Amino acid sequence: MSLAAPRRLALAVTALLGACSHHDDPQARITAPAISVGSALAGVQTVARMIEDFPRSLDPQLTTDIPAQRVLDDLFEGLVTLDIDGRPIPGAATSWQLSADGKTWIFHLREGARWSNGAPVTAEDFLYSWRREVDPKTGAGYAQALSPIVNAMDIALGRKPAETLGVEANDAHTLTVHLVAPTPYLLELLDQVYLYPVYRPAIERYGDDWVRPEHIVSNGAFALHEETIGNRITLSANPYYWDAARVHLQSVVYYSIPDRAQAVLRYLAGDVQFTDSFAASQRPWLKRTLGEQVVNSPWLGIYMLGFNFKLPPFRDNAPLRRALNLAVDRAALTRALKYDMYQPADTLMPPLSGYQPQHPPWAASSQLERNALAQRLYREAGYSREHPLRVNISTPVQGADERHYFEAVAAMWHAVLGADVSLDESEFRVLVQNRELHLLPLYQAAWIGDFPDPVNFLQLFYSGNALNYGLYSNAHFDALLDAAAQEPDNAVRYRLLEQAEQQLNDDAAYLPLYYYATRHLIKPYVQGWHSNLVDRNLSRYLYILEHQGS
Amino acid sequence: MLRYILRRVLESVPTLLLIVTLAFVLLHAAPGGPFAADKPMLPEIRRSIEARYHLEEPLWRQYLRYLADVLHGDLGPSFQYRNTSVNQIIAAGFPVDVSVGLSAIAVALLLGIPIGLNAAWRRNSLWDRIPMALAVAGISLPVFVIAPLLVLVFAVRLHWLPAADWVHGSPSHLVLPVLALSLPYIAYVARIVRGSALEVLASAYIRTARAKGLPTRRILLHHTLRPCLAPVVSFLGPTTAGVITISIVVETVFGLPGIGRFFVTGALNRDYTLVLGITILYGTLIILFNLLADLCYAWIDPRVRLES
Repeated sequence: MSLAAPRRLALAVTALLGACSHHDDPQARITAPAISVGSALAGVQTVARMIEDFPRSLDPQLTTDIPAQRVLDDLFEGLVTLDIDGRPIPGAATSWQLSADGKTWIFHLREGARWSNGAPVTAEDFLYSWRREVDPKTGAGYAQALSPIVNAMDIALGRKPAETLGVEANDAHTLTVHLVAPTPYLLELLDQVYLYPVYRPAIERYGDDWVRPEHIVSNGAFALHEETIGNRITLSANPYYWDAARVHLQSVVYYSIPDRAQAVLRYLAGDVQFTDSFAASQRPWLKRTLGEQVVNSPWLGIYMLGFNFKLPPFRDNAPLRRALNLAVDRAALTRALKYDMYQPADTLMPPLSGYQPQHPPWAASSQLERNALAQRLYREAGYSREHPLRVNISTPVQGADERHYFEAVAAMWHAVLGADVSLDESEFRVLVQNRELHLLPLYQAAWIGDFPDPVNFLQLFYSGNALNYGLYSNAHFDALLDAAAQEPDNAVRYRLLEQAEQQLNDDAAYLPLYYYATRHLIKPYVQGWHSNLVDRNLSRYLYILEHQGS
Repeated sequence: MLRYILRRVLESVPTLLLIVTLAFVLLHAAPGGPFAADKPMLPEIRRSIEARYHLEEPLWRQYLRYLADVLHGDLGPSFQYRNTSVNQIIAAGFPVDVSVGLSAIAVALLLGIPIGLNAAWRRNSLWDRIPMALAVAGISLPVFVIAPLLVLVFAVRLHWLPAADWVHGSPSHLVLPVLALSLPYIAYVARIVRGSALEVLASAYIRTARAKGLPTRRILLHHTLRPCLAPVVSFLGPTTAGVITISIVVETVFGLPGIGRFFVTGALNRDYTLVLGITILYGTLIILFNLLADLCYAWIDPRVRLES
C-alpha cells in the first residue's frame, strides 16, 4: 500500500550557493543563507513546525526541554547566536575580546539591538537575566551550567547573593564576564537558552504571567503572537529585530504533536512542513515514500547503559563490565532495530572536529573475537553458565521499539555469556529518582550535549558531579579534567580530555550503544537550513519557495 | 423537585471530598516527585522550588491548604507547566472538550435513534441486519483504529478536511474528531433503541394503534419513541461525562488542546495540582450528569418518582 505522497515540486532548484564562509573566527562568519538559484520565493512566507511536546515554559531561565529550546531560539537572542550550521556567531553582541589569561571576556553589544517593544537591548538586561538564572529564588533547573562564571556556583548553592556574580555592565553596550578558569567553549555556552536575556520590566510587572502573548517582550527575530496551551504557539516576525530585513518568514507556527505516528500523518496531510521526530521503525517506509525529505544526520548525543560502581555486581568488577561491553553486537542492533538511523558507538564522544575519538582496543576486532574475549572475562569475573550473572536493565516505560532493543541486548548476553538479564521498566520520574539515589545497578542512560565540547560529556563521570549517577570515581580521570579546565590552549586541552576519555574506556566505566541522529521530515520547498551537530535550525534563516500543493 | 435537586447537590459534597482526598493521598504516595528530572537540580534550587509549591510542609498541612484554595476557586499552579495555573489550563482546554463531546453526543442521538427505530420496525430485514452488523463493528473497533483511518482517508488522501488542529469556530476542524468519537456511541444508541423498541412494538397499545390504521410515522414517533428513550437516558448520564472528558485518544490523534491529555501527562509527571484539579472537574461532571439523567428519566417516564 502506498500513501499519497505529497506532490513533487516542479521546481528547478539548481544549486545552493555557499551559505557560509568557513572562517575560524566566529565574529567573521556570514549568517544569511543564499536563496536557491532558479527558484522564486512563495508569496506567503509561513512555516508550520512540529515539536514533540508543549514547552514547559517560555521563560528562558525556567526551561531545559528541547521543544522550548526550538521556540526560544526564535523568540530570543543571546550575546551570540547560531549560524545556519549551528555554530556561534555574533548575536546581541557584535564583537568581543578575550584577556591574555583567557579568564576575562569583554562583549560589545549591538547598537541597533531592540526588544520587541522598541526598547534598546542593553548590557544591564544580560546582567539581570544571568543573575536571575543563578539566583536560587528563581528556581532555574540548570543553574550549574553557569559554573564557569565567577561565584555562579556559590550563588546557586545559596552561599552568596546574586549581585556577586562575576559579570559587569560597564556601560549600556559593554558587558564584562569574569571566569573561574579559561573556558574556550564560552561562546558555545552563551548561545544556550538559559543565557538569553529577559525583559525586566515585564517580569516585574506581570510576574509568572509575563510569558503570555499579551505581556511578553523578547529580542529575537520573532515575537510571540498567540499560544493555545497544549496545542500550538504562533510567532510573527519581530519588526524591531536588528536583522529583520533579512528574515523571510512572516510567521512560524509550532505544533505540539507528542505522538510520532501522528506527526507523520500531519506531515503527509501538509499540516506541518518541518517535523522533529519519527519512529525508527517507520524510517524504511518513509524513505521509500518521501525520499530526500527524510533527514537524518549526526546529532551530538549518545545512548548508553550506566553501571553503578557502588553496588554489586559491578562494584570492583572491571572484567564483568568489560565482558558485557564486548558481548553486545552494536552494529547488528542498529541495523536490525534502528534501521541504520543511528551509528553504533564504541566510545563516549560523538565525532567532533578537532577531537581525536578514543576507540577502545576491542573496537578493531570482529564480533566473534570480542565474544571469545567476553567469555574469558566473564569467567574471570567469577561467573559461568552454571552460576550466571543475574541483573536487571532499568529503563523508563517506553514504546515497543526501545523495549525490543534492550530485549535484544539481554538476549545477546544470554547467548554469548549465559547471563540471565531481564528488563525492569518503571515510569520516567521513578527511574530518574532511583538513578539519582544511586539505587540501580544497570540503567539506561543518555546524554545529548548542551554544546559541542568533550567536557560536557566527560563531566558525567567526574567525582561529585550530580550527573555522575553511577558514582564512578578515578583520581587520574578527575586530575585530567581539572588540568583541562585550567588549560587556555584548546588543542592542548583536547589532548588532556582525550586521555580522560581513554581512562573511562580502560575502566569500562559505561556501556556505549549508539550515537543519536537528528530525525526530521522537511518539505522540499522549505529552504534555509543545514543539518548540524547541535540540531538547531533557527526559523530566522528559513524561507519558502513557490510550490504547488502541500 | 427543587428539594430533590438540593438534596442531591448536598449529597455530592462528601463524595467529592472523598475523591479529592483519595487522589491527593494516592498522588503523594506514588514514587518519583514532580521535580525529579533528567538533569538533577542543585539542592538549594530544589528547596526554593519546593518552598514555592509548599512541598516542604507536612502532608496534612499541604492537604488543608489545597482544600482552602479549592474552596476559593483556586486550583493552584501547575508543577509541570511553570508560569501556568491549573485554572488557566482548564479554562483553555475544557471548552474544546465540551464542544467536541457534546457534538459527538448530539450526532450519536440524531443518527442512533432513527437507525434503531427503523431496525426494530423492519425487524430481520436488511434494514435491520446491515445497520446492526455495522453497530457491532462500531462498538468493537477502538477509537485509536478508527481515528487515524479517518485522517488517512479524508485528510491525507482526499484532502477534504484538515488532519488535525483546533481553530475556534471552524466547523471543518470539528468533523473528523466528532465522527471518530461518536461512531461507537451511534452504535450503542442504535442497539439500545432497537432493543427497547422491539418490546414496545410488541405491546398491546401499539397493536391498537396499528389496528386503528394510524400512519407508521405517527406510531413510531408518537407512541414508540418516548418509552424507548428511558434506557437511552440512563445510558447517556455517565456516558456524556465520559465522552466530554476521557477522549484522550481523540485529543491525541486530532491535536485537540483538551484537558484529557493533560490528565495523563500530569499523572506521569507527578503534576499533583493539575491531576487533582482535573479530578475535581471530572467528579463534578459525573455527579452532574447523573443528576440530569435522573431528572430526564422522571420526565420521560411519569411512573418514576424522584423522591422515592
